[in-house]
Amino acid sequence: MRIKIIRVIIILGLLCLAADLVYTQGIRGSFYYHQSVNNRIRVIPLDGIRGRILDRNGVVLADNRLSFNVAMIPQDIKENDQVFHYLSQVLNVKKSKLFQQYSQKKHAPFAPVVVAEDVDKKVAMILEENKFRFPGLYVQEHSRRYYPMGSIGAHLIGQVGKINRTKMEKLKDYGYTPLSIVGYSGIEEYYDHYLKGKEGGLQIEVNSRGQQVRLLSMRDAESGEDVHLTIDARIQQIAQEALGNRKGAIVILDFDSGEILGMVSSPTYDPNIFVDHRLQGQISFAYSSPDAPLLNRAIQGQYPPGSVFKITLTVAALANKRISRHTTFNCPGYYTLGKRQFRCAHVHNAQNLIEAIAHSCNVYFFNTGLLIGPDQMYKYARLLGLGEVTHVDLPAEERGFLPSRRLRRIRNPTGWYKGDTLNYSIGQGEVLATPLQVARMTATVGRSGKEVQPFLIKKIGEQDIVQFSTVRLVNLAPEIFTIVQEGLKGAVKDPHGTARLLDMPGFKIFGKTGTAQSVPGKDEHAWFAGYSLEGKKRVSFCVFLEYGGSSYNAVVLTRELFQRLRIEDIL
Amino acid sequence: MRRDMGVVILIFTFAVIAIGLVALYSASYHNVRVSHKIFYDQVIFSVVGLFLLLYLSNLDYRKFYDLAYFFYGGSVILLILVLVSGRHALGAQRWFSIAGISFQPSEVAKLTLIFGLGRYFSDRRSSLSARPRSSLGVLWHDLFVPLLMTLVPMLLVFKQPDLGTSLLFFGIFIFMLFTSGLRYRYILGFLLLCLMMMPFGWHIIKPYQKDRLLVFLNPNIDPLGAGYTIIQSKIAVGSGRLWGKGWLSGTQNQLNFLPERHTDFIFSVIGEEWGLLGTLALVTCYGVVIYAGLKVAEHVKDRFGMQIAVGMTGIFSLQVLINIGMVLGMCPVVGITLPLVSYGRTSFLVSLFMIGILLNLSKRHTVF
Repeated sequence: MRIKIIRVIIILGLLCLAADLVYTQGIRGSFYYHQSVNNRIRVIPLDGIRGRILDRNGVVLADNRLSFNVAMIPQDIKENDQVFHYLSQVLNVKKSKLFQQYSQKKHAPFAPVVVAEDVDKKVAMILEENKFRFPGLYVQEHSRRYYPMGSIGAHLIGQVGKINRTKMEKLKDYGYTPLSIVGYSGIEEYYDHYLKGKEGGLQIEVNSRGQQVRLLSMRDAESGEDVHLTIDARIQQIAQEALGNRKGAIVILDFDSGEILGMVSSPTYDPNIFVDHRLQGQISFAYSSPDAPLLNRAIQGQYPPGSVFKITLTVAALANKRISRHTTFNCPGYYTLGKRQFRCAHVHNAQNLIEAIAHSCNVYFFNTGLLIGPDQMYKYARLLGLGEVTHVDLPAEERGFLPSRRLRRIRNPTGWYKGDTLNYSIGQGEVLATPLQVARMTATVGRSGKEVQPFLIKKIGEQDIVQFSTVRLVNLAPEIFTIVQEGLKGAVKDPHGTARLLDMPGFKIFGKTGTAQSVPGKDEHAWFAGYSLEGKKRVSFCVFLEYGGSSYNAVVLTRELFQRLRIEDIL
Repeated sequence: MRRDMGVVILIFTFAVIAIGLVALYSASYHNVRVSHKIFYDQVIFSVVGLFLLLYLSNLDYRKFYDLAYFFYGGSVILLILVLVSGRHALGAQRWFSIAGISFQPSEVAKLTLIFGLGRYFSDRRSSLSARPRSSLGVLWHDLFVPLLMTLVPMLLVFKQPDLGTSLLFFGIFIFMLFTSGLRYRYILGFLLLCLMMMPFGWHIIKPYQKDRLLVFLNPNIDPLGAGYTIIQSKIAVGSGRLWGKGWLSGTQNQLNFLPERHTDFIFSVIGEEWGLLGTLALVTCYGVVIYAGLKVAEHVKDRFGMQIAVGMTGIFSLQVLINIGMVLGMCPVVGITLPLVSYGRTSFLVSLFMIGILLNLSKRHTVF
């Protein structure tokens, strides 16, 4: 009897085992199967080398260099204490700090832990020579981004960094992994897809100690493609130096094709601080400085264009046939609207259109503005490419702003006043434009209505990039542009022209100055935009100084710039 | 009837041994960690064991009645000796070497304890009928004396330390006490008392044993330390799925993810390479042997034979249940071998010895 009880208990026990076996192997089997596969298969990533960025003449703007990381494999480390003692001596870092770093990053016995990044070549050699003394300690080789030009034209090139969560979300479908290095601004970001190498990997089978048993499969890493830009490194250098410490931007476009030959912004930063851990300390300064060094003022800075805007107003008035080149207004030095006086720079007396442009007479354009009204101004400014992004191949371009009566009605309960029209006429008030937009606008005028598409890309890998539909036609009568061009020429050639400083032998520069009021209490923004038709290359340009005072400063800067370019035999 | 049981036991014992050899071949195949020598070792011992089996089944088992206390005393002395001068392995003193052959006295002690208790209980029974006793007297003679007999080897083994085997001793005691005819109320009362003592037990076990118990409750406390074995063995068994990964193709096994896979964790090798098919087959074989063993116990006419049959089948089943339960994560990891399958000479021979006794018992109709 009692034996039967024992039998029942034991049989029940065996049935429990059988039930658990059915559950573990039958029902949860695939789960454990995948775990066993994960157990034995490791993927060792191989970095693809990132493509370089080169200028139009093959000068390297972004390159890769060999860097050395010190890594440890936890399961192979025998005497922890000795290894850290040795490392702290060689690397000159506190032992406790090393150990802390190590224990924070350690996650599996077979996975290498990087304890020091980008160490000196000398240190790497010392470690490599003493490798046999400390099993598990080794030096990894990596390719690391490096920007030989430093801070010159940094905004345009951009920089790279480890992928962040936002980017990962966006890019995970395109072969990016959490370890990927991605571009964070400029060309590095815009052409990241081409620059990025394809990460390869080794799939290996390992045993319980993480030692390789055999190679299961392998995919070679592929290098990224080199990106050749239309930029000329020499122009970048000259332009950056010309700007110096002043805030501002310079954009130089090829007048005929729209290729961007130079684009610099100031203050600038050294992109190497983002890739070289020795310079990491400067990153926070770059982010927090009130001068916003990371901002590419050429495409992201939006400023009132001031008198430069008079070009679009002229086009608008001529197209509306409200004025002709002989229309004359008298400038007493101010314009009275109601009780307010709107001032002009000088007393210009009677002026025709050409003289008004050349002397940048506000009163003349107040009158013209009132003749055509804000709607027409808006229409033609849009037609000449203001208030809209230029679609240059750089990320985060800003579009500027053009006020209009319609928007005013939507956003603001106060209506549109004549005073607003007057401000609009001289590019003040709410009008905002980027230096690149202005440079393109002057090119369009200079080319009699054939707009160019500004772009930076010349070649990807071995593939020449052909720009399609690079020309948009602003369909206006050519005479209109001829008249404006005459005015722009006057600004330089006229003895009283605002930019007569640029009347240099051997140059044929057209342009318009602009002095835009900024916030009260600060200096005005200084503009000079135009195009040059004499020399090796025909270029269109915009020189802008943020809070740079009178437009005279911009003209002086332009003069320096062109003289240096001529000396260097570039233009 | 009992003769049939003998044949059944023999056939299924062979089946279990065969499954075990196949698994052991795989566990030691092309491996640096586990030498392939152990497979041949086990083969040799299987053959030796078969002769032992034949010899035992034709012996008069009453001889063991006569020698029971002698064996018992001898094994206690061996256990003391091994504590004094035993061989260290895995932090425990369990082995003992005589003339170059090492063996584990604790395994032998299982057997001698069964004989000792069997004789004691069967002697008590005859005197029990002679004169009635006070309940205190019954408790003293039928519970505390055999308990003391058990505690001596049990504590010696526990000192080694070998928690698993010492618990098996206790299991032997409970099984044999149960069939000794002591009244249920005493047995239940005793078990309740033991249950209440358990929290005190926490203080006397070693830190690593505490770790194992904690890890049993949650293996992920320490996945690379104490929990590693149990996580890896579960993965191994589960990954075999229905049909297994095939002989010599278990990745958990062949790539050394399973520690102790030729001894305590051999079941996970079978689970991985043969799948549910193999594990259920093995469990069924064990079930049949156990069932037949208890049938034999039921039909043996004398009390000594019945008691030792129960004790041997009981210990056999306990080992199967605990070992497989441990591989599946149902019990804490205690070092208990899978009888007739795990590598280990002493344990293997002792298991075969028990089977031999069961065969012997199945042959006898009457004793006196």
